[in-house]
Amino acid sequence: MIGGLEFSMPDLVKNVPQLAFPHMRMFHVNAVAVGWLSMGYVGAIFYMVPNLCKTKLWSERLGNMTMWAWNLVLVGAFCTLVNGNTEGREYAELGAILDVMVAVALVLVALNIYMTILNRKVKKLYVTLWYFLGSLFWFPLVWIIGQRTFVALPGLNDAIVGWFYGHNILGMWFTTVGVGMMYYLLPRLTQAPLYSHGLSMLGFWGIALFYAPTGTHHITQSPVPEWLKAIAIISSIFLLVPVLTVLTNFFMTMKGRWGQAVTDLPLRFAVTSCMFYLVTCIQGPFQATRWVNWYLHFTQWVVGHAHLALLGTFSFILTSAVYYTLPKLTGKEFYSQGLIRAHYWLKFLGFLLMMTSLTIAGLIQSAGWAMGIPVDQWGLQIRPYWFFRGISGIMIVLGQLLFAYNVWKTLYSKPAASVAPAAKAAEVKA
Amino acid sequence: MHSYRLGAIGIVTTFFIIIFSTVLLPMVLFNPSDKEHRSNDYTKIPSNVADAARGRKIYVREGCFYCHTQFTRLQDRGYGPLVKAGDFIWETPHQLGTARTGPDLTNEGGRMASEWQKAHLISPRAVKPGSIMPSFSYLSERDMNDLVAYLQCLGNRREVHSFVEAPDEYQKTTPAGMALHNRKTVDTAASASANAGRGIYTQNCAVCHGLEGYGNGPNATSLEKKPPNFSRPYYKQYSDEFWFYRVSEGVAGTRMPRWTEVLTEEQRWYLVAYLKTLPQDQEITINSLKQIDKIEDVRLPKLSNQQFEPHHGGHGGHGEESEGDNMSPSEHGSHGSTPAPAPSASPSTTTGTSTESGAAPKEGGH
Repeated sequence: MIGGLEFSMPDLVKNVPQLAFPHMRMFHVNAVAVGWLSMGYVGAIFYMVPNLCKTKLWSERLGNMTMWAWNLVLVGAFCTLVNGNTEGREYAELGAILDVMVAVALVLVALNIYMTILNRKVKKLYVTLWYFLGSLFWFPLVWIIGQRTFVALPGLNDAIVGWFYGHNILGMWFTTVGVGMMYYLLPRLTQAPLYSHGLSMLGFWGIALFYAPTGTHHITQSPVPEWLKAIAIISSIFLLVPVLTVLTNFFMTMKGRWGQAVTDLPLRFAVTSCMFYLVTCIQGPFQATRWVNWYLHFTQWVVGHAHLALLGTFSFILTSAVYYTLPKLTGKEFYSQGLIRAHYWLKFLGFLLMMTSLTIAGLIQSAGWAMGIPVDQWGLQIRPYWFFRGISGIMIVLGQLLFAYNVWKTLYSKPAASVAPAAKAAEVKA
Repeated sequence: MHSYRLGAIGIVTTFFIIIFSTVLLPMVLFNPSDKEHRSNDYTKIPSNVADAARGRKIYVREGCFYCHTQFTRLQDRGYGPLVKAGDFIWETPHQLGTARTGPDLTNEGGRMASEWQKAHLISPRAVKPGSIMPSFSYLSERDMNDLVAYLQCLGNRREVHSFVEAPDEYQKTTPAGMALHNRKTVDTAASASANAGRGIYTQNCAVCHGLEGYGNGPNATSLEKKPPNFSRPYYKQYSDEFWFYRVSEGVAGTRMPRWTEVLTEEQRWYLVAYLKTLPQDQEITINSLKQIDKIEDVRLPKLSNQQFEPHHGGHGGHGEESEGDNMSPSEHGSHGSTPAPAPSASPSTTTGTSTESGAAPKEGGH
């Protein structure tokens, strides 16, 4: 994960004229999606699933292998994308070989986890396991469909599938695993039982039903069939149901224990993540509706929204998971609590700054487009916000570097676990 | 164990239903065809000049689509014709794009001179101050030329055959518009009517629009939004109804008043008759009498910025994207005077001085 981190986070400084920005952008997206979040997620899954099943991981060798495969993919991605070897599909830029490697790795991870769950010692499946099971079934499929590696679809159909993939990598992987992690972490960290298991099931099935068709809301104004747009927009709005049930569940679990977030650092990350989840999920259906989309589409507002989801919500929950699991896995306390605090504040404030500047920039852009003012005129107006965004990027990267340093120092006596600590260490423990 | 199996079946079924409805169903039901031949034609530029299809690959490789979109929306002004479903059938991987950090490129072809495009790729801020586009100076000469060829092909078969029209209540399609036409007694094509309109124009309009309609009346200097230049070819496409509508209702956001408050309907029609006779910039002259009889399909300015945003275009940065090749019946790609990217052109075309004259390529040798 340090590997993932070092590669992924510096790219957040995607700023005003940067040499070969598009290449950086490609790698940024892929490194965040495939490198940082996915790798971290799989690491967390490898830890949480055996824990919840009270059993061992089905095959540790397989786990190790997938970990190396994943790292290899990332190195490959770095080498290819920065040089512009891309398939030219947003979120699916990786070349054919890497596509296949990720797919194989995913299937192997899924196999590993499924077998682990089959061998479990606890009868009832906790909701986190539901989420992980669902995600590991969906995501390989979504990935394979979405990459369109060996097919060439005509333009708009390509776009439809592309956005099916582009949105579902979020919806059926980042969101579901992330929420599953929240379900695991919140009760553990607060030492409180989950408020309601019934609600958690409702949330899970809600997301399973409503998330997948939403992709077309990214292209509501292109000439794709109207019925498809209607399905996408309606299910986007329906997504409020699972989101609100999930968050009700979390907030009721937290009830009376909010004070713990002040002292408990992993919990603080988790709670922040929940808050951002609330914001991003209210924003989502709002901007998916036609008239709002009419105004906001194509602007930095959407970029802000994407960062709110991936950085604000899922990156925070993942960090929380790392801070929670690492001491348990290694049996040592974190090298420095102060660094965790610094990490939190840098990331939190940096992100708030980024979000605010992107949103304002987006509104300026929307106004510009809506009034038919040429880019060269409003382009100058948003320069200050690019600047603030750059600063926020630096803050976040700084936070992440502190995080990496902290993790490194904590693990220092364990050279074996240096490449992908969470994944590796999870296997060590299991 | 039983509940677990049920759940697993549930997940599988749900997922496949969703895949079916949102991935497979569109593939089956949605098969647009390019009957109208509006998709980009990458073969238009001769292969000995540059390879536009290869340019597309470079466009993809360099990730241009992260900042430039390639579909026009209903509300977009200044980006040329709206796209239709069939326009994209050869576009794979699709380059629709997600964010417009830069302008939309759907109909970019022909809007700027190839030299300009190249200079802009090499040094964006030299030709467009304030731009945040990164420089692509690291591209090889061949890559650059192909990329420019690709850009010049964008939208090259999406021709404009109709313009912004006056609102429905001015058209004969509605009762109100029909009544308007029934009341009309002025022959707006007659020179006598134009003559009558001249006085009205001089009294009411010339103070801002100038005597010849160049937008250079004495008041113009003090206006923040400058009056338009009626000599531009764009205005030669206005229908009577559109002129009438503009004169009657004024232009929101500018000092152009609603003349319906001041002039009678008849006066406004006389005015329309006169406005239609205002001179055109770069009027085409003929070399022989034969050319007079030839009925020519007047092509609308191909891919101009201002055809959807006609008013007061003279200010600001986009003025240079003029509707140059209006009267040229030829496609922009076949302008004798502007062969697309000249491979022999040395990189010294970066001077950027071609900006102003850029998109107004010399009106095919006259």
